[in-house]
Amino acid sequence: MNAQLAAALAAEEAAIYAYGVLGVKLTRDSDLTEARASEATHRDRRDVLVSKLAAVQASAAPAPAGYELPFAVTDRKSALKLAIQVEDRVAQAWRAVLPVTEGGDRSTALSALTDAAVRAARWRRRGSVTPATLAWPGRP
Amino acid sequence: MVLTGGVKRRQLLGAAAGTAVGVSAVAGCGLFDEDSDPAPQPDALQPVLDQALRLASAYDRAIVAEPDLRDRLSPLADDHRAHAAELAGVIGVALPSAAPSEPPGDAQSVASLRKAEQAAQKTATAACRTAPADRAALTGSIAAARAAHAEALR
Repeated sequence: MNAQLAAALAAEEAAIYAYGVLGVKLTRDSDLTEARASEATHRDRRDVLVSKLAAVQASAAPAPAGYELPFAVTDRKSALKLAIQVEDRVAQAWRAVLPVTEGGDRSTALSALTDAAVRAARWRRRGSVTPATLAWPGRP
Repeated sequence: MVLTGGVKRRQLLGAAAGTAVGVSAVAGCGLFDEDSDPAPQPDALQPVLDQALRLASAYDRAIVAEPDLRDRLSPLADDHRAHAAELAGVIGVALPSAAPSEPPGDAQSVASLRKAEQAAQKTATAACRTAPADRAALTGSIAAARAAHAEALR
């Protein structure tokens, strides 16, 4: 379970970093509001994971100071593309937590997977990406 | 007292049946043959499968009623069919050629589809919470897909 939780933590850290970068390129107020809400959610999930990993005394790799972005974020279009990508990655990381957890921990993972899928759909709609949904959110 | 005992016994039988179904699916042999006293428990994923089929046909009817919605709705219907096919495989049942019949003439607006997605999400979420490990990711993705569908219909 710890390996999956550590991977989820890495995905959340990457998402927080990405939102910091892409937020600068979002020009519409509604985009920005959405990005800020998303980032706050990812920070909350990161904090939950840090506590959880500390409780089981697993050593999570320290978050790197910087991340390599998969592509340059130069405008609204590439910013939305990155937002979609980080939510898809977060969904993948949390989906992998489901089989190795039960009870409340699984519910937490499922909430995170569901939330990431919903946010990805929202960003796709904002970016006029069709279809706005995936058949299997989180499936790599 | 007696009632409590009966309930407990049923719960135990139910739990045992669930286990036996799981084992027989793996082993490919019917553990139930000699003890078929209670009707075999339907698979816990059957309601999730039924809903996937109902949703797919609800989308189909909405598209027939309003062809302009085809581009928007048909990918969602396809998602449900993909879910149904995979669920049927995991449960080990044949996919019905026709979807379960709905009362005819019910108007399928985008709003009612959205409500149906939200209800279906609840079913899949509940199934995921109690699923054995090997079904957790499957049901989790289906729950997330239904939630994302509801969002896309806003």
